[in-house]
Amino acid sequence: MKLRAWIPLALMTTLIVAVGAYAAARQEAFLSEYNLRNLLLATMPLALVALGQTTALLVGGFDVSVAALMTMSLVTASFTMQPGSSWLVLTLGAFALVGVGLATGVFNATLIQLLRLPSIIATIGTLSVLTGASLLLRDHPQGPINSDVIDVLKTSVGFVPLAFVGVIVLGVLGDLWLYRTRPGLAVRAVGLDETSSRRLGMATGRVVFLSFVVCSVMASVAGFYLAAEVQIGSPIIGNHALESIAAAVLGGASLAGGKGSFVGTLLAAFFLTLIGNVLPLFQQPTEYAEVTIGALILLALVLYEAPELVARFRSGQHDRRARTRHGEAPAG
Amino acid sequence: MSIPGPTSPLALSLRGVSKAFGPVQALRDVSFDCREGETHALVGENGSGKSTLLAIASGFVAPDAGTVEIGRRRLRRGSPAEARRLRLGIAYQTYSHVLDLSVAENLYLAVPRNVQPRFGRIEEWAAARLGEFKLDVPVTALTGSLSLAQRQLLEVVKALLARPGVLLLDEPTTALGPQDVEWLHSLVLEQSSAGVAIVYVSHRLPEVLGIADRITVLRDGVSQGTFEAAAMSEDALVALMLGRPLQLAFPERHHVESQAEALLAVSGLQGERFGPIDLIVRKGEILGIAGAEGNGQVQFLRALAGVERATGSVSCNGSQLDTTSPLGPLRAGVVLLSADRARESLFPVLSVRANTTIQVLRSLGRFGVLRRGRERRVVDDLAQRLRIRMASIEQPVQSLSGGNQQKVSLTRPFLRGDVNVILAEEPTQAVDVGARFDIYEALRAKTNEGIAAIVKSSDPLELSGLCDRVIVMSRGKIIEEIRGDELSERRIVEAIVGSGAPATRASAGEARTR
Repeated sequence: MKLRAWIPLALMTTLIVAVGAYAAARQEAFLSEYNLRNLLLATMPLALVALGQTTALLVGGFDVSVAALMTMSLVTASFTMQPGSSWLVLTLGAFALVGVGLATGVFNATLIQLLRLPSIIATIGTLSVLTGASLLLRDHPQGPINSDVIDVLKTSVGFVPLAFVGVIVLGVLGDLWLYRTRPGLAVRAVGLDETSSRRLGMATGRVVFLSFVVCSVMASVAGFYLAAEVQIGSPIIGNHALESIAAAVLGGASLAGGKGSFVGTLLAAFFLTLIGNVLPLFQQPTEYAEVTIGALILLALVLYEAPELVARFRSGQHDRRARTRHGEAPAG
Repeated sequence: MSIPGPTSPLALSLRGVSKAFGPVQALRDVSFDCREGETHALVGENGSGKSTLLAIASGFVAPDAGTVEIGRRRLRRGSPAEARRLRLGIAYQTYSHVLDLSVAENLYLAVPRNVQPRFGRIEEWAAARLGEFKLDVPVTALTGSLSLAQRQLLEVVKALLARPGVLLLDEPTTALGPQDVEWLHSLVLEQSSAGVAIVYVSHRLPEVLGIADRITVLRDGVSQGTFEAAAMSEDALVALMLGRPLQLAFPERHHVESQAEALLAVSGLQGERFGPIDLIVRKGEILGIAGAEGNGQVQFLRALAGVERATGSVSCNGSQLDTTSPLGPLRAGVVLLSADRARESLFPVLSVRANTTIQVLRSLGRFGVLRRGRERRVVDDLAQRLRIRMASIEQPVQSLSGGNQQKVSLTRPFLRGDVNVILAEEPTQAVDVGARFDIYEALRAKTNEGIAAIVKSSDPLELSGLCDRVIVMSRGKIIEEIRGDELSERRIVEAIVGSGAPATRASAGEARTR
């Protein structure tokens, strides 16, 4: 990984330590086992969906439908994982959640890869469909989630939920895969330059297709932790779509595709949750959290682009798009 | 060089291949083959279908009709991966590099899985491969940081890494200096004597005659025949490449005195892909820019409009032109007609009327309110004068033919009273024959008012008919200047295809200082 790839990880870690230290110094309650465990659990839905969003961003796409899919998963869970069900039924119910994710993923990927719709437009359509479907199934919060399932999801050793350890392992493995294996390199190549990748004989269509399927499946898995948090089949749950993109981008993903880090995404997801967790400790209204998060995203983006800006300034390069166009002037 | 006999097995064979892109028939029933150990050159003018033929042979583009066989195995339609499995390697004219990845990573992606080293060792592996080909490029550098020549050499090495049985080289020397060309040619000879079938596409006829066993000529997507290179001359090839049935009429030349007042003076202008260039354009003159595609003509023209970054100085009417942004040239009346009309010149969904008057709305209004009647009269006048064929001036520009779209973008310099120089990039690209003449006439009529025009075109016939003077560019520099009685289509083509010859290059300095 080059310098640019390390900046986001370093910045996120620094901010987490800084905010954490400040909070710990000001409020004893912050470092309590209870608060830390809740903080980590609260990170889970965003962490999972942001990992998925990172795969979509890596191939140069967006998935705006993830939030609606998480809600849909939650609503599905309120039917398939009801209190008093046997473990067999619950297992099947869990598969149903992942199935919803898989189906949505295949649907999105088909729109984007086979019908060639821009991913942002295609997933806005899916978002509407899923939101409507969720409201049809539950027109108001209704249908409690099985508490045994919630307990399993929240299983912790000390203050650390096992699931949190799980996503960290997933993130690290993901980054190793992305930066230390051939398929990972291929995914980045497709995201960076689809034409060249196709010329090199890569199955670019399959890579894009799978990325969107993975994104949706991750969103439906995030639905489990949303269910553990909300505990009832609610059709109106907050917007994780923009947050997931924010986390991925703060973690180093490029909106143009081909660049990103799963670990960075996780750190950013934790950081975003942390800000929301810390401000109430000081009786600050949550609006401040929103403003802070927005300002930090802008600041971080400028910082991430700094090496490139400096390089461009030095070499006096011109608009890259113009150059590409002329490089491609056909002849012969 | 051992000339492979006609008995050598066919390594690549295309039969009856046709391909259309929209209304343009790029290839029409073309058959082409290459034997093992043979170097078969493919020549033709810009747009004659060479790159399309290679794209079809390599599986990147699926033909509308016809078949491709690589090593006697039929290629499934449109699959570069399968072509690679059939041991076909290709060096693209516009490269296949992922610029944000390192050289080592690009090399790694270019070879089939069974040849790939362990991922952790790609840098040593890449260095070893580059060493084999005696190419000195840092393997850890981002490919985007390499010079164009290095990128071109790397592209060739990538094509060779998988040890192909068929090697396609598309204009592999456009960015190369003489030494690198020599390196490349020794590589080609080495490969062909090892039995590799090589398809060599190039504009440069001396290069082609020096290296090919057979030569196939394409013109307007139709094969003009395949010939033994030993029996061919540059003259004969040029004659085959040209030879158009249709001769165009051109507007009469305005006689420009060589003492006429200089309007645009360029000195030491230098950009990423061209320069340094010194040039003077006089009032009433139409200057043509010729050259094989990708030799800096486009960049030079766009630099004059402030769209491409460059250093050096340009002055118009005696005052210095600020070319750091498009604004300076625009204010000084230097206007660019981009070849990419839909994206850079016109608003495709807006009407002819809106597209025509968009730069001069202020002069058509009163108290900030547009006077529609006056606007309509102005547009109607111009539409008639330029013979724009349309149902009404309210028709969206995107529904017009290419030629009529170009005429709409030409209306703008006519409306502005303060235009000094028109920079036209491929003004008749994708324009039908009838409309071409209208465009030539409009350009000539406007320059007769005492302004100047610079026309970049890949059509030598057009340049010879329209322009008062033509400069020929190669590798970013002016290598020849053709004017007066010398100016002919043939002369331009000879200058372009001869640009690989050292004799021509030696005269470059002379042409520039003239």
